[in-house]
Amino acid sequence: MSYNLTLAETESYLRKAARACGLEWGIAEEAGKAARWLAAFNLPGPEILFAHLQYLKDRDYRGLIPNCSAQPWQSSDGVLCPIITGAALADRSAQMLEGKKFELGSTAYPLLLAATVGQAARCHRTVFTTAWAGVRVSCFENGLSIAGNRDDLLLPEVDAVSCYQDDLSTAQQLPSTLAYQIDSNTFKCINELAFETYAPATEESRAGAGAGLTDND
Amino acid sequence: MQDCADNNPVPAAAAYRRSPEVVMRLARMGSFHQTRLSFMRTLLRRLKKEDWKFKRNLWAIDEQGFGRAVYTVYGPERTYSLVAFAHDLPDDMRSDRVIATAWDATFTLYDGIPGEADLDRLEQNVPKQEAGRISDSELSLSRANRSVRLWQHVIECLSQGRQPDRDQLEAVGYLMRTTAVYGSGKFGAADRLTIAERPELSGPFQAELLSVWLTRAFSIDLVEHIASVRGGGQAVSIDPELRRRIGVGNSTGLGMAPFLINHPALLNNWMMAREEALARVRSLAQATPASIDEFKQHFEHARFNVSQWHSQHPIQIEKLKALASDLEQMAGYIDSESLGDDHPWDRFYRWAEDNRSLEGQEQLVSLLLEPYGELVDELTQCMDADEHLSFFIDGAMSLARLREIIEKQCEWALKVDYDQPQNRARFWYTSAEKLEPRVGERFEDSGAEYELPLGVGFDIKQLHAALRSWNDGPTTAEFLLAHPEHRHTARRVQNLASHPFAEIQDNLIAADMLPIDILRCKLSFFGATKFDPRSDRWVRICMYQDAPFPYELLVAAS
Repeated sequence: MSYNLTLAETESYLRKAARACGLEWGIAEEAGKAARWLAAFNLPGPEILFAHLQYLKDRDYRGLIPNCSAQPWQSSDGVLCPIITGAALADRSAQMLEGKKFELGSTAYPLLLAATVGQAARCHRTVFTTAWAGVRVSCFENGLSIAGNRDDLLLPEVDAVSCYQDDLSTAQQLPSTLAYQIDSNTFKCINELAFETYAPATEESRAGAGAGLTDND
Repeated sequence: MQDCADNNPVPAAAAYRRSPEVVMRLARMGSFHQTRLSFMRTLLRRLKKEDWKFKRNLWAIDEQGFGRAVYTVYGPERTYSLVAFAHDLPDDMRSDRVIATAWDATFTLYDGIPGEADLDRLEQNVPKQEAGRISDSELSLSRANRSVRLWQHVIECLSQGRQPDRDQLEAVGYLMRTTAVYGSGKFGAADRLTIAERPELSGPFQAELLSVWLTRAFSIDLVEHIASVRGGGQAVSIDPELRRRIGVGNSTGLGMAPFLINHPALLNNWMMAREEALARVRSLAQATPASIDEFKQHFEHARFNVSQWHSQHPIQIEKLKALASDLEQMAGYIDSESLGDDHPWDRFYRWAEDNRSLEGQEQLVSLLLEPYGELVDELTQCMDADEHLSFFIDGAMSLARLREIIEKQCEWALKVDYDQPQNRARFWYTSAEKLEPRVGERFEDSGAEYELPLGVGFDIKQLHAALRSWNDGPTTAEFLLAHPEHRHTARRVQNLASHPFAEIQDNLIAADMLPIDILRCKLSFFGATKFDPRSDRWVRICMYQDAPFPYELLVAAS
């Protein structure tokens, strides 16, 4: 059974799910955008983000911070978080415009990292490519292309990732969609996570929400 | 908006713009009135200009008034259809709360003309609203309840061959009152991107407001249908002039309040368009007799409207008293002052700013725009936003610059002492019961740990405090890596540099914050009138009162 999610819903549910797993709001926003961006190209961004969030839950942020002065980047946790690291790379995207190539060590779900950095490509109106194992994912202003071995696309962890500005004006971009088919059980789990950000109803909240007046007038 | 500013045909207007510090205050935003830039009016202007056509393609309503109907508008490139379902709703289930589960009528705006199979699919889902599921062929989802008293009165009169009582009709102003009108990817509806490149729907809320306009027509058809069944040959239809006075109601609450906070770039563009329009009119050295006449007509209409605008809420009662007095004083000003020369509208505005209440000042803002469609209507093209661009964080920005933006543009946030309980008394959260935003009392209610990041002023002050332990050298990127808890706020602060009207410059978690001020601001941009708060967080309004009906504005489709 699958469930048809709109892109707006994809972003909203995954942002909340990320928040429920302990990410700060600003990082959770990046996670929602990355999931939406991948879903728009029919890639399983929501599913791999959900899988990664299971790993993140209750983990200390300090262990996840990339050491950006190391070559390659590393975290004390051992594996770089693709959302936190992707956001840090997006924040440094101006350096990629100047030709800098970022090298990362062990990284979880590099496709999520590519999508998070990819948000910056849209703003700079350029192409940022993220490469790992045998595959390269390039994010354009409004598109995405994949080169190399697609079997490596969804790897849950890789030893090395590089990220750089690219010139790929002729690359074949993936077709995009405005709705995403997700497995019903996975969606149920994501929805349950998102639900953890909602406050249980109290008498006060019920009393305060509406006018409390009859509508029979 | 940047392009709009660069191409400004009235450079002199710059000197007349009001500052964000003046405009972005809740008390003022909560006194806004609809303008000719409001989204309903933009929609109807376009439909008229482009010669859209109209047809009621289906009317399968039974003698009790239950069944389905389809209203279609035909544009130059595309067609859209309101699909309406009329239901049998017992009185004890009629609630204006968003947590209701059944309604007198439910609606969706279909992208095209629905076939029988679509209608059957929609009938399985639309009446359930949030509990159902629509598809990317649908652009909105909404519901409405009858105004019971007026509904019965109108049916009784029409079925007996009489016109309804004008006073009673105008006191309510509508036959049906919508509650939520959902769009953009909600409950399976088409994503915003589906319509983002369609000129007729790319402006804010155009699909939703098209559905509401057609809902108004449906409400009148339904009441006349029932009267006709009941009265047979003696039944009459509503007099056309009286019919115009019937709008469509809306009852809305906290659910829509966070929208303006969650869409800062959009809010900025709405505000800047409105402010630029006012500045353009104020910058005019003279006014022609024709413009003055047009202004006076609209002024008289505003005076009539305030006499028809009723509220039982103490805050709005006081505001309406002030508005009535403002309009009387303005009438005196109009009689005694020359409106022809010497920057007449600027003089008038400044007089109002010095002498009249916020309600009156903002009413005048709306009226000043009325004679100047050619000068200001183009600004409606600047009222959407590429929100992706404002999502981007410039990590290379120095902390000195980040601090400078806060200190220059967020004094309103820094000056608040959040150690005082009344300044942190509230928190915004999403209710698990209805998945809608709510406001709680931080020191009384449980649930503050679920707080949404909508206490913008507090967050900005926290960010500013955290920056104290950093010197000016490092970049925003370095700071945010160490302090991810400030990331969402840094995003907003950076956005302010290019979007000066992006933030409400008031404390959104203060004990005395009135959510209805946020609602009124947003609804005035929609084009709503007759704001009637039912509490500090719940308001009834009227939409499309006096507007033409589809069969009046548009040509009949064959």
